[in-house]
Amino acid sequence: MSRRIDSHEFYEVDKSGKEISFLFDGSVVWAREGDTISSALVASGRKIVSRSFKYHRPRGIYDADGYGPESLVTVDDEPNLLADRVLARNGMDVRSQNNWPSLDFDLAEINDVFVPFLPNGFYYKMFHKPKWLWPIAEKQIRKVAGLGSIDTAGRHNSRRYEKRYRFPDICIVGGGPSGLAAAKAALGEGKQVLLLDDHPELGGHSLHSLARIQESPFSELEGLSEHEGIRKLAAELQDNPNLEIMSGAMVFGVYEDNLVAAQWGNDLMKIRADKVILATGASDRHLVFDNNDRPGIMTARGVERLIMVHGIAPAEEAVVVTTHDGGYHTALLLHGAGVKLKAVVDSRASGTEGVFEKQLEDLNIPIYREMTAHRAHGRKKLQRVDVGPVKGGESFQSFDCDLLVTAVGLMPRLNLLSMGRGRPEWDAERQVLRIMNLPEDMYSVGEVEGPADISSLLQQGMETGLAAAKGNEQPKFNRKPEENIEALPADIESGGDHHFICKCMDVTRKEACMSIDEGFDQVESLKRYTSLGMGPCQGKSCHEAVARLAALDTGLTESDAVPTTMRPPAFPVSFGLLSGRAHHLGPIRRTPMHHCHIDLGVKFLDAGAWKRPDSYMDPQQEALYVRKGVAMIDVSTLGKIELSGPDVIEFMHFMLPGKFAKLDVGRTRYAIMIGEDGILFEDGTISQIEKGKYYISTTTGNQDAIYTLFQWWLTTGDYDVQVKNLSAGISGVNITGPKVREFLSSIIDLDFSNEAFPYMHNRQATLEGVPLNLFRIGFTGELGYEIHFPSEFGESLWNYFMEKGEPFGLKPFGVETQRILRLEKGHLIPGADTDALSNPYEAGVGFAIKDDKEDFIGKAFLAEFKQREIENRLVPYKLQEGDAIPIDGVAVIADGKPVGRVTSSRMSPTLGYGIGMAWVPAGSSEAGNHFNIRSLDGTNVIATVLDHAAYDPEGQILKS
Amino acid sequence: MSFQLNCPNCGKRAVSEFSFKCEYMERPEADADFKEWGDYIFLRENKKGTQTEWWFHRSGCQSWFLVERDTTNNTDHKSFWYKDLKQKK
Ligand SMILES: [Zn+2]
Repeated sequence: MSRRIDSHEFYEVDKSGKEISFLFDGSVVWAREGDTISSALVASGRKIVSRSFKYHRPRGIYDADGYGPESLVTVDDEPNLLADRVLARNGMDVRSQNNWPSLDFDLAEINDVFVPFLPNGFYYKMFHKPKWLWPIAEKQIRKVAGLGSIDTAGRHNSRRYEKRYRFPDICIVGGGPSGLAAAKAALGEGKQVLLLDDHPELGGHSLHSLARIQESPFSELEGLSEHEGIRKLAAELQDNPNLEIMSGAMVFGVYEDNLVAAQWGNDLMKIRADKVILATGASDRHLVFDNNDRPGIMTARGVERLIMVHGIAPAEEAVVVTTHDGGYHTALLLHGAGVKLKAVVDSRASGTEGVFEKQLEDLNIPIYREMTAHRAHGRKKLQRVDVGPVKGGESFQSFDCDLLVTAVGLMPRLNLLSMGRGRPEWDAERQVLRIMNLPEDMYSVGEVEGPADISSLLQQGMETGLAAAKGNEQPKFNRKPEENIEALPADIESGGDHHFICKCMDVTRKEACMSIDEGFDQVESLKRYTSLGMGPCQGKSCHEAVARLAALDTGLTESDAVPTTMRPPAFPVSFGLLSGRAHHLGPIRRTPMHHCHIDLGVKFLDAGAWKRPDSYMDPQQEALYVRKGVAMIDVSTLGKIELSGPDVIEFMHFMLPGKFAKLDVGRTRYAIMIGEDGILFEDGTISQIEKGKYYISTTTGNQDAIYTLFQWWLTTGDYDVQVKNLSAGISGVNITGPKVREFLSSIIDLDFSNEAFPYMHNRQATLEGVPLNLFRIGFTGELGYEIHFPSEFGESLWNYFMEKGEPFGLKPFGVETQRILRLEKGHLIPGADTDALSNPYEAGVGFAIKDDKEDFIGKAFLAEFKQREIENRLVPYKLQEGDAIPIDGVAVIADGKPVGRVTSSRMSPTLGYGIGMAWVPAGSSEAGNHFNIRSLDGTNVIATVLDHAAYDPEGQILKS
Repeated sequence: MSFQLNCPNCGKRAVSEFSFKCEYMERPEADADFKEWGDYIFLRENKKGTQTEWWFHRSGCQSWFLVERDTTNNTDHKSFWYKDLKQKK
């Protein structure tokens, strides 16, 4: 059964959309291009689209606009999307949520049929004693209460989201009549304007209005009907080079200093605007009566949108309940689409004789005054509506129908205006909630300030656009008395238990009243206790109903019972969108040799932003290349900072705990850095490479922190020192192993003998014209040279070394191998073997501290630490051959209690047994002491404390 | 936090371009007693209202500067160089 219409009495139906189809719960649904999932479902005659959260009540399309929870579906494998908003695509697989075994026959609906209602806290009160019952009950409850489930293997998980930025002069949210008029005015003032609208087509509610445009500020629109006029206005702006339009963009937050956040396709738009104009419009007010959630009860604007935007007659027979001329407009559109109108039920004694009311009277459609909807009948779809007096009580009459339209006033869409800044206030004159005081540089206009006719919306939009462009204050507008729509009572008191206030969380008025009786009698506490307004719609569809009912039932006045502050996100957004790509702020950093590593089959390691070679094959094997032959590692990621200037020694003496006055040109020294709190956080080397030029090599992770720390102290202190961060400009390799001297002598014109180039010295040389700095240091424990050179030669030098090294058996090695090698030497890595509580004396690097200086960073705390007894020590240890290797981080146990921990643990390929470093109590930290390591599986191994290093403890190899 | 901060060098930029270091504090003399050092390192005023803070323009000109910021609204803030703070006193 198709509900498409071929023609309409009052406008030309657009039938140009190509026919497409998709699956809904496995059945084929025919759609037209331009349909949303919802409009296609309505067109196909489907009534139930979802099941409610708690009672599993059937729910259908309600506002066709995504402001309520009814249209949540899973599309392909992505859960919790709004069918009202997602455009139909050929072949898509749409599934309903929260039902079992099927949408039309859901067993959990028993919650609704047999339990009259589940009061708030029911589950918890029922199951919290005995204690063991709750976890079991919770599992069952979670099965029946919930939304879509996440498919972690789904395709949507690999979708790529991007962040994009815009900096317009003026950002306008909402492309309805006021937003468009504001854009036109601001463009006229030469401003750059960004216009965001959440629908595919600009125009807002005007796209489905037949009202005549009269006395508008734009003469070209005079006399046109609203839907024609608004399209004309949009088309006129479309090609303006100063206007960017984002249609289908969901603005979910407006933050400090006019940062507007929107989802636009797969992009997170971050928009920083000088001025923001919020023209977010209004939704139909939520009418509370018995069974007000039945499929077939829809808002006026939802129905109008289905008719005029999608060319659909949503039902056979309709009843319209209204409080203003807008309901007559909807009735007229239904009539024009061939829907039989059983009644228009108007709450007013006699209407103000609006334009559409008159037209409807002329059509002899029955109009009932001083009445409204009392009760809906029918379970899976609406079958009948009882109507009666506005103040409740006995119903007068019943009408068979499959559509009930609610046109009972408008509620401003305040979420973006509130955004954590302020609570709405009740405007008794306009009969709506408003946000009165917006921050400077933020404007609001249109129906978000209360209902208004088309000429007011255009006029006020234009004036607000002008004010924003000129930097003037928000203009204040009055409403004509006939523009205000009086609100009906917050609930039509017609008996029955199913007066739904919040459809997301399935909270009825009865439950709200019980909670108020339990003492939750403020809007804030009521919300927290009942979860009113805390569902997927975040109060967008119900906050007004919640506040007004709270006023009714607590005795608060309507100006006291205002909704709670609304916070972002105003629409559901996926975590993927918020996180974006992993390296969204900083780029992925690759060394110049990156592609050489790939060619060698490397496995990379993420070290901060850097990609470092972790290993090429087997790290244990790579370690043996270093110990037995010669091997090379890319050390380009190390920080390289150059200090110079008249006060450089004084500065280094202040920044570092060591002393450097005797560090001659050509010498290199191990150095540590500590914080003012005395805690070790970094180690590296310092070399005087030329007279007065000190070259500091830092770890990969700390290079930026140390550079900025130096700058900070240079800002605050009176040092004449220059600091240069050469980290990216200089790359390097470390070539190490017994054959390294022989290899490097064969290619570099430099005396590599122990006498000419001793351990902890540096030299300069050139290789094929490339300037090199060479440092003889020994992190790996083998004879080794770190060679630094300008980064632009990184790739060619790496390849050159690999080629020339082949006769010597040169192999590449990675970070994991380096970790094994340094562990064999008992060298700590700050941050891996130490933490924020590691005092350098206990960590065993006290030798690098020369505290007989007047002042230096950390001096006061080091003095304190030195006085204290050493409680724990970081020690190198070894295991017996054949012992299992514990993982990093396991506990050191004494007398059944944890007394320390293993920080690094590896198999030593050189020695054939396990080695590591551990924090142990001082009492068992002497060389030869034993301690007990407990692995995760509960087994124990006995470790023996080593004096220095497991490998070459005297450093003979290193120094020869 | 989404406010914009005024770098004395680069002008108004999104706060995400900057790093916050700490409230402005005077470093104790080297021979100050240990309690004074402890307070300097571990205690912060965390004032409700305007306080002076250290900021670093990380994704910009890499300058350190001071900001007087109202912690209640992030809006009324002034930025200036350290040398100007010293001149103020
Ligand atoms: Zn800057």
